[in-house]
Amino acid sequence: MLQDWYAAATGWLFEHVLQPALYALGLMDWAEDLYGWLDFALFGLFGIAVVYAVCRPLEAWRPVERRADRRAVRTDMVYTFLSRLGILPLLAFVLLASLQSRWEGWLTEAGIMPPTLEELFPPLREHALLALLVYVVVLDFGEYWRHRAQHGFRWWWALHAIHHSQRQMTFWTDDRNHVLDDVLAALWFGGLALLIGVPPGQFPLILLLLRLGESLSHANVRLSYGRIGERLLVSPRFHRLHHGLLSAGATGKNYAVLLPVWDWIFGTADFRRGQFPPTGVPGIEPAMESGGWLRQQWAGFRRLATTLAGRA
Amino acid sequence: MRRAAFALPLLAGLLAAPARADLVYVLNSGDAFITVLDSTTREEVRRIPVLREVHHLLLTPDRTELVIGDSVANELIFLDPATAEVTRRERISNPYHLEYSPDGRHLVITSLRRDQVDIYDAATRTLQARLRVPDKPSHLAFSPDGRLVYVTLQGARRLMAIDLAQGRPVWTAEVGRQPAGVIWHRGRLLVGIMGADHIAVVDPLDGKVERTIPVGRGAHTVFAAPDGRALYATSRVDSRLTVLDPETLEVRARWDLPGGPDCIAFDPEGRLWVTLRWVARVAVVDPATGAAETIPVGRSPHGIFVQPRREPLPPVPVAATTPTDAAPPVAEVTAAPVSPPPLAAAPLDASPVVPAATPAPEPGQAPWWRRSLGR
Repeated sequence: MLQDWYAAATGWLFEHVLQPALYALGLMDWAEDLYGWLDFALFGLFGIAVVYAVCRPLEAWRPVERRADRRAVRTDMVYTFLSRLGILPLLAFVLLASLQSRWEGWLTEAGIMPPTLEELFPPLREHALLALLVYVVVLDFGEYWRHRAQHGFRWWWALHAIHHSQRQMTFWTDDRNHVLDDVLAALWFGGLALLIGVPPGQFPLILLLLRLGESLSHANVRLSYGRIGERLLVSPRFHRLHHGLLSAGATGKNYAVLLPVWDWIFGTADFRRGQFPPTGVPGIEPAMESGGWLRQQWAGFRRLATTLAGRA
Repeated sequence: MRRAAFALPLLAGLLAAPARADLVYVLNSGDAFITVLDSTTREEVRRIPVLREVHHLLLTPDRTELVIGDSVANELIFLDPATAEVTRRERISNPYHLEYSPDGRHLVITSLRRDQVDIYDAATRTLQARLRVPDKPSHLAFSPDGRLVYVTLQGARRLMAIDLAQGRPVWTAEVGRQPAGVIWHRGRLLVGIMGADHIAVVDPLDGKVERTIPVGRGAHTVFAAPDGRALYATSRVDSRLTVLDPETLEVRARWDLPGGPDCIAFDPEGRLWVTLRWVARVAVVDPATGAAETIPVGRSPHGIFVQPRREPLPPVPVAATTPTDAAPPVAEVTAAPVSPPPLAAAPLDASPVVPAATPAPEPGQAPWWRRSLGR
């Protein structure tokens, strides 16, 4: 029933709004790709609703700190809506699909066809849920290393500092990123997804699961998952330590996005429970910390240019 | 009493009427499975899992196997069309649209995402030639003598004629914005111009567009009725079926069919089974009136095929849903020789047979995450 309703609603939207626009623009060969993107956008909206329903009551229940600067939180909300409607993932997917066709065309001409995960591990072929979990684990591993790179490379930290400069961290903060940082993230994530061959229908769902976990981990809530739970899933406490004042830049801990096991394995975990430090980047310029969306973006570009020029 | 005597032969006649339980195979390109429907009950009787994106299918020249291309997974799936059982799988490069040549000697596959057209030996799937072509090779059709194959280049506004024996293009001609389907019809090529509202009638000698037949925006492709008495054109933007006179190509009727009609298959009673890409349904259309009813399937249904059958498919025993040692032997397919380099063969090997079709889940038995999120 729900499935039918979803198909009818997306079908109507595509037939009456998106496809006529594509036709008018002379882009009908992208129809299937745009139809796939609808799932991104709708799952994105659905994701915001779920995150709000889960996180807002938690933040009201046991906040780590009082919301002193509501304007700063509103800026993070702008980031969330811009990001989760899936414009950047769509662009990355389209761009990567074209690159992938060239890359795969070249590979097949060289006599090489990359295997799918199911070919490497045949039991996955018959167990869609198990396959989904494997994809999540692999993609989460990729996200851990991307996050390490964001802190490790000075030019990348120049952009990522926008995310860390929020002193009023809430579940909205997850999407507070510089657009260039978002593009890099989308290319990284989408590229890895294409490399391991995630079924297109599952891609939005995987994105949704990861995003739910990430938003919750940023929530302004005094919540720890206990001795074992802290080692299984990234909690608001675990991630707040990563956002702590002493954890900025290359000195960071707790890089994991969903599964803390990566921090455990690679020696970057901090499991001290009961620690809920204040967040932010010491000495960061005010525009990065409390400016509006546009000011923060501009400041990010400036910092990046300065870093690349070797003056920072 | 007289009424009863009258009614009995009538009842007997009704009972004697041939029962039908044709199997309708629907390839759900936006979901990782093939739906198998019973044409009479309209129920899903099997669900065949696939890896990525299935788009097109066809019968082998001896009509004993159904071949399905899973494009993103680089896989051909071979099915027994009478039982819906997977007999084997083979690795092959990005199979999007695929057709056997009229003499059954060649299998030609377009690789939409890799800008390649591959010509294989039909019996062994040994690669004979690989052509790097302009943007998005989509559908293909053969000349009746099997000498040429015609391929639409969706992103390049062109149609390409390729000599099968020599494995190289003979001509390339502009036919319109985003050409999609192509068929050979009475000495001409009919090409669906998806970025426009018409079918282009093309001279197969040089690719020149002789005239256009308006059918509706998003003209996709044309299918000939098995009795040859009508042609049916699908339009994905206007969501319409257009009936054409096969002799004159004049429009006989226009039937609205919401949902983005795409591919068509015909059942033994002459009804049209049409995939509706954007609403996760197939339509069953009465060719006399254009009246349609729709049946839910998976996301973005694309290729479709009807296998005539009298008896309903028996229920699948539980054991058949798990891998067994009794699976049929793997077909031996050797790697094609890599020569010369620009036309190097993709490594072909056959993968073990994994379990055949699974019984269709009862309502509510879909994976939890799909059920809960309406996917």
